[in-house]
Amino acid sequence: SLESKAWEKKNLKVYPPQLPDEPRRPAEIHHSRRQIKYSKDKMWYLAKMIQGLSIDEAIAQLEFNDKKGAKIMKEVLLEAQEKAVKNHNVEYKSNLYVAESYSGKGRYLKRIRYHGRGMFGIMDKVYCHYFVKLVEGSPPKTVEKTSFDQAKQYVQNLKSRTIIHSL
Amino acid sequence: MAMPMRRTLVALHRATCRRLTNAEVSLDVRHPGPLFLPVRTKKRYFIPPAVGMKTKMEGFTEAKARAAGIVGKQENIERPINISCTAGVFDPYVPPEGDARLSTLSKEGLKQRAEQIRQSATSQLAIRKIKEHDSLFKTRDFAERAQEIFVEAHNALTQFNKEKLHSLVTERCYPEMTRGNRYKTIRWSFIESLEPPRVVHARCTDMVAKGNVYGQVTVRMHSRQTLAIYDRFGRLMLGSEEQPKDVLEYLVIERHLVNPYGRWRLHGKIVPSWAPAKDPIIKTVMILGPKLRPGEEFDALNHEVPKPAAVQ
Repeated sequence: SLESKAWEKKNLKVYPPQLPDEPRRPAEIHHSRRQIKYSKDKMWYLAKMIQGLSIDEAIAQLEFNDKKGAKIMKEVLLEAQEKAVKNHNVEYKSNLYVAESYSGKGRYLKRIRYHGRGMFGIMDKVYCHYFVKLVEGSPPKTVEKTSFDQAKQYVQNLKSRTIIHSL
Repeated sequence: MAMPMRRTLVALHRATCRRLTNAEVSLDVRHPGPLFLPVRTKKRYFIPPAVGMKTKMEGFTEAKARAAGIVGKQENIERPINISCTAGVFDPYVPPEGDARLSTLSKEGLKQRAEQIRQSATSQLAIRKIKEHDSLFKTRDFAERAQEIFVEAHNALTQFNKEKLHSLVTERCYPEMTRGNRYKTIRWSFIESLEPPRVVHARCTDMVAKGNVYGQVTVRMHSRQTLAIYDRFGRLMLGSEEQPKDVLEYLVIERHLVNPYGRWRLHGKIVPSWAPAKDPIIKTVMILGPKLRPGEEFDALNHEVPKPAAVQ
């Protein structure tokens, strides 16, 4: 199905009430914008740039980016932040981070591109969708693995090999 | 004999067809051809979706249609009106100050309030009119029935049983009860009633046409309830499940008397101005400060936090 709005439906899932001893479940907000007049490949670069950042940082980075998609993406993030505070019971609007962010292909319009000698090509007017998932809390810290660590791991793997049928 | 005849007829037909030109084939009466013959052209491998459509201005076509006299699609001018319930509470009951607080102190207070329903003349008239239409109406039974309706309606709200809720609650009260609650879990329980419910006030009104009577009865009830609202993720938003609260409420129950299928349904609540403030929600809410022009500074000392507007 081409018009499936599965991403928006994720916002309608209701969890049962938590027991008092359970850890507090972080709020998840799914937001998207459809049929943006931009290329999905160009949008991808921006989407992966902000993945994993806190929302304030993401908005700051997009504000000073020169691409056309950055302006649209910033609007989407601000909309999502507002919706989180209003509809999804998020307490602090800065306490959000971008958990998932990616772009997808929208529905293209086709036009003729005229070439010489009566030849023609089909020109695609590209559109893309942009999806973002905000989660409450501080962004998870990714442990950076240094090359020395990787080398140590490799040597460890070699040392822990067992040789069968040996003396 | 049939065979040679047929052959000559076919030959004749062929002769006539060959004589006729392309244009005359369609007009020939005896052997009519198709009116539109496709002209053989070079095969198009790709036909773009109406490229010319974009250039036609949208306003242009509308003006053209109006000038030509074509009546387009009529936009909805109607607004739906609900006849099964009134739009509000007519002549609302003004509860006396200190209603629940003084009742335990003075016996006279209790007696006074018990007699008030008999004193107010309009309420008596209204009750008499209700008894005209519904002969089984009794003030004492009605108060208990009102409480039952209240409890059942709130139980239906927790399960979000739309049909049952619509039968117990009027169309005016339904959005008030369910606004914003669709994706939330509500846990409500009625523990006990501290005082027996009493009918305090009654009014009968005519809507639109004379004789189209609606009856509204106010019932006062003092009870103990627990309420806990959880948001979409199961986190507690308001109240608590273990801590019960004593609640004094004035419910307005309404019925369309003329309608034989009319039922007594919860129409609304009357919140007195002296009612105690509700519990705050378990969340900090940001109130936006004043918009400053560049160069202005925020005056923290003289700035007053704006109070939220009363809901009811």
